[in-house]
Amino acid sequence: MIQSHLTRGWPPAIAATQGRTERPAELPGDAPLAVRGLTVSYGEKPAVFSLDATFPAASMSAIIGPNGAGKSTLLKAAIGVIPRLSGEVYVFAQPLEKARARIAYVPQRASVDWDFPTTVMDVVQMGLYRKVGLLGRLSGAMNARAQDCLDRVGMADFAHRQIGQLSGGQQQRVFLARALAQDAHLFLLDEPFAGVDAATERAIIDVLKILKAEGKAVVAVHHDLSTVRDYFDHVFLINVRRIAEGPVATTFTTENLQATYGGRLAATHLDELSMASGAR
Amino acid sequence: MNAFLQALFLQAGYNAALVAIGAGLLGFAAGSSGTFMFLRKRALFSDAVAHATLPGVGIAFILMVSLGGDGRSLPGLLAGSALSAWIGLLLIEWISRRTRLAEDAAIGAVLGVFFGIGIVLLTVVQSMSAGRQAGLEGFLLGSTAGMLFQDAVVIAIGGSLAVLVTWLMRRPMTLVAFDSDYAAAMGYNVRRIDLLMMSLVMAVTVIGLKLVGLILIVAMLIIPAVTARFWTERSSRVIWIAGAVGAAAGYLGAALSASAPALPTGPIIVLVAAGIFVVSLLFAPVRGVLAAVIRHRRFQARVHRRQGLLALAAQHPIREAYTLRLLAREGLARPDGVPTETGRAQAAKIARDERRWDVAREIHQDAGLTGRYDGLTPIEEVFTADEIAEFDRRLGPPVALGGA
Amino acid sequence: MNLTKRTFVAAAAAIAMALPGGWAAAEERLDVVATTGMIADAAQNVGGDLVEVRALMGAGVDPHAYRQTRTDVVALANADLVLWNGLYLEAQMEEFLLELGQDNAVVPVAEGVPENLLIGSEDYEGRFDPHLWMNPNLWSRAVIVIRDALIEAHPDGEETFNSNAQVYLEKLADLSRYTADSLSSVPAESRILLTSHDAFNYFGNAYGFEVVGIQGISTESEAGLQRIAQLVDMLIERDVRAVFVETSVSDRNIRALVEGAQAEGHDVVIGGELYSDAMGEPGTYEGTYVGMIDSNATTIARALGGDAPNAGMQGLLN
Repeated sequence: MIQSHLTRGWPPAIAATQGRTERPAELPGDAPLAVRGLTVSYGEKPAVFSLDATFPAASMSAIIGPNGAGKSTLLKAAIGVIPRLSGEVYVFAQPLEKARARIAYVPQRASVDWDFPTTVMDVVQMGLYRKVGLLGRLSGAMNARAQDCLDRVGMADFAHRQIGQLSGGQQQRVFLARALAQDAHLFLLDEPFAGVDAATERAIIDVLKILKAEGKAVVAVHHDLSTVRDYFDHVFLINVRRIAEGPVATTFTTENLQATYGGRLAATHLDELSMASGAR
Repeated sequence: MNAFLQALFLQAGYNAALVAIGAGLLGFAAGSSGTFMFLRKRALFSDAVAHATLPGVGIAFILMVSLGGDGRSLPGLLAGSALSAWIGLLLIEWISRRTRLAEDAAIGAVLGVFFGIGIVLLTVVQSMSAGRQAGLEGFLLGSTAGMLFQDAVVIAIGGSLAVLVTWLMRRPMTLVAFDSDYAAAMGYNVRRIDLLMMSLVMAVTVIGLKLVGLILIVAMLIIPAVTARFWTERSSRVIWIAGAVGAAAGYLGAALSASAPALPTGPIIVLVAAGIFVVSLLFAPVRGVLAAVIRHRRFQARVHRRQGLLALAAQHPIREAYTLRLLAREGLARPDGVPTETGRAQAAKIARDERRWDVAREIHQDAGLTGRYDGLTPIEEVFTADEIAEFDRRLGPPVALGGA
Repeated sequence: MNLTKRTFVAAAAAIAMALPGGWAAAEERLDVVATTGMIADAAQNVGGDLVEVRALMGAGVDPHAYRQTRTDVVALANADLVLWNGLYLEAQMEEFLLELGQDNAVVPVAEGVPENLLIGSEDYEGRFDPHLWMNPNLWSRAVIVIRDALIEAHPDGEETFNSNAQVYLEKLADLSRYTADSLSSVPAESRILLTSHDAFNYFGNAYGFEVVGIQGISTESEAGLQRIAQLVDMLIERDVRAVFVETSVSDRNIRALVEGAQAEGHDVVIGGELYSDAMGEPGTYEGTYVGMIDSNATTIARALGGDAPNAGMQGLLN
């Protein structure tokens, strides 16, 4: 099968062998996040096409694929940040709109203007806006909660800094703290490790692992193939269409990666990864 | 001066007092309602909305005249301007959402087209033989000095409503302005909140149109918010500061206009606003130009002092004149570059700190701490006294460079 | 620069010629285009059946701000004779008209009046106040300029023009007498005429009124707040009972003035609407020059405590 991809080149025509024709697929059950038949298109070019995906509870899932494969699109469309052309989204077996309060989203750091006049504390409190409502005041308990979330990401001392004074890693931590403040059950992160320092990456992973231990679901768009095995236990491989999904041990394989990345992934790199998998 | 003080304390007659209060209120409403447009990086949008009111004025006039009414009826003209501004903003929103045109292109297109249609309609109106169109061109430049009591009432009511809505909706609007994706993910209807921001601007534009004219109202929507940004790092405060700047400009401008001959009120108000902006640009703490220059000079001095001391420690000659002057001024070296006692001591300390950093890099593999080395940050800010003592233990006793 | 402007005028004329048109097709009537209604009215009266007169600016139009449209350009370029006021009244059209005058018959009628009869402009050094028609006697001189222009454009009609002009000038003389009579009935201390802009200086000179305008001689400047405050003080000090709005200028400032005076406890009313830079609607009595001045004089006299018949000189006002 891999042979055929390599010889037939790009794009890989693998859907049939991966069970894609069996739609409608299994019911979403009460998975934290499930999408069925999701298609999103910019103009007339689908960015993701007819995706089914199910992300399990109490685990960390990575969405993996090459640039332009629709990773962020999948995430954004799943929570209604961008409109879907077709398909359904279930969050804990409920339609998206009913389950909003259980979702926390961490957008890409680069998607906002960090010169915006606001402080670290203000940003974290944004996570509480839905709870506070339009007229409510942020109570002492809520402030304490926001402070606690900052503490969990190691940013307690920065509460009153202007966000423009933060380093990239610190910005990412603040975004994570904001998501924590929401008290959600499903965390969706868009490239949380892009351009952050090693210490921040460590801190973020620690927080996410605690979330997982608390039974929450974490779904992250992830770029760095070398850390997938260390960080995640579930992967979703995507290249416009679903390539494969499942536990890391069985799904994060050389074949699937080859199918996802096509000729773009150097053979040596794949070997390294599979060796890493062998070592485990 | 005396006349100005009189005007300032509302002692310059009924009209001056009315205009000062009315313009102050309008300034406050415009400043605070324009804030989120600025924070959303859509300041130009206010411009487009203001220009999009003009066709409505023309059409309303033509309609009212052809129905046999008074073409100059103010409520009719304002309703017309509001309607056409609304169409204009929906159009911008639609163009930038549905086509590949960028938002600035959509704004430019709508602004130009609507203003053009407006001018054409006003020209059509001037060739109509009926209806008394006199004063329609006042919508372009306004006539602040001719404010009537009923105008002031409209401003007070409409303006307070706009400010109230701005304040009530500050959280969703802040969220959308800062991070619209996150707002959408939380379930806020971003499009509706955007429309709300635009509607606020539109409401203030329509209220202020007859007073300061569509060209000057744009300035009152944008300048205060931009000015306020210099003075605070909190979006919630930008609202109030922008309101205060707008109010001050309106009030002071009216007072100025009342205190000297031949000062047209509307333009003076905008000039006062621009004056406050320039002062803020130059002298605001932190974000002002002057503060930035001072900060840069201080930083430069720190760098030169440090480099100079390192050179002294290594007993290299100091060639840069600025470094020499700096060290001499601070009593660290003589003008010929020979270190003083204090200079020697500080140089030794700095040289030792550099070596401590070297040790730190060996011991602490974690880049989070050693990564904070930038040549300037004192090692005491990064490591605890115990850790530094540990570095010193590894380094051995200090090497004397004239005593430390 | 000059070349391009001339080219533009020539092009406009060429376009006009190329248009399939009714009137260009050689009727014998002289095609006259006038800028303001007052000039058109005089030209029509003097020209009678021999001319076809069109006025560019209709009722309530402010000539200071008027911009010519393409249709206007065609009409102007096509006309046998163009009559305009001059003295910088048609500020936005002046350049075009001067350019057009290089090749066509274009006559600024107010500029044909001897300079020693004109009032200098307060705002613009070396310029004159263009609102000549406010004094019927002075306007008669402009009518003579118009008559001469018509004769020059159409020498065959000389006799008709002369006799028509005679009749019209007599009407203006009657008008002048009526105006002087009714205005002299206003008590001397009440002879203050406060209006939106400085259009009434010739009127004031002729009938002994002090004329005060909120805005300067042109409507295109914005009033300052101090000016309003000064005028409110003046209203109170001099016990002025009525102020006037103009049909072709926004009434906002006047209304603000009235409100200001009332707030200080001085009762002043808007005495009525004056025709300053444009006549009333076509087809009405006020839509003629005589009706316009009649209306002004009657309105002012009655509002300021003078004695004038309710329906004016000829009983035609309503």
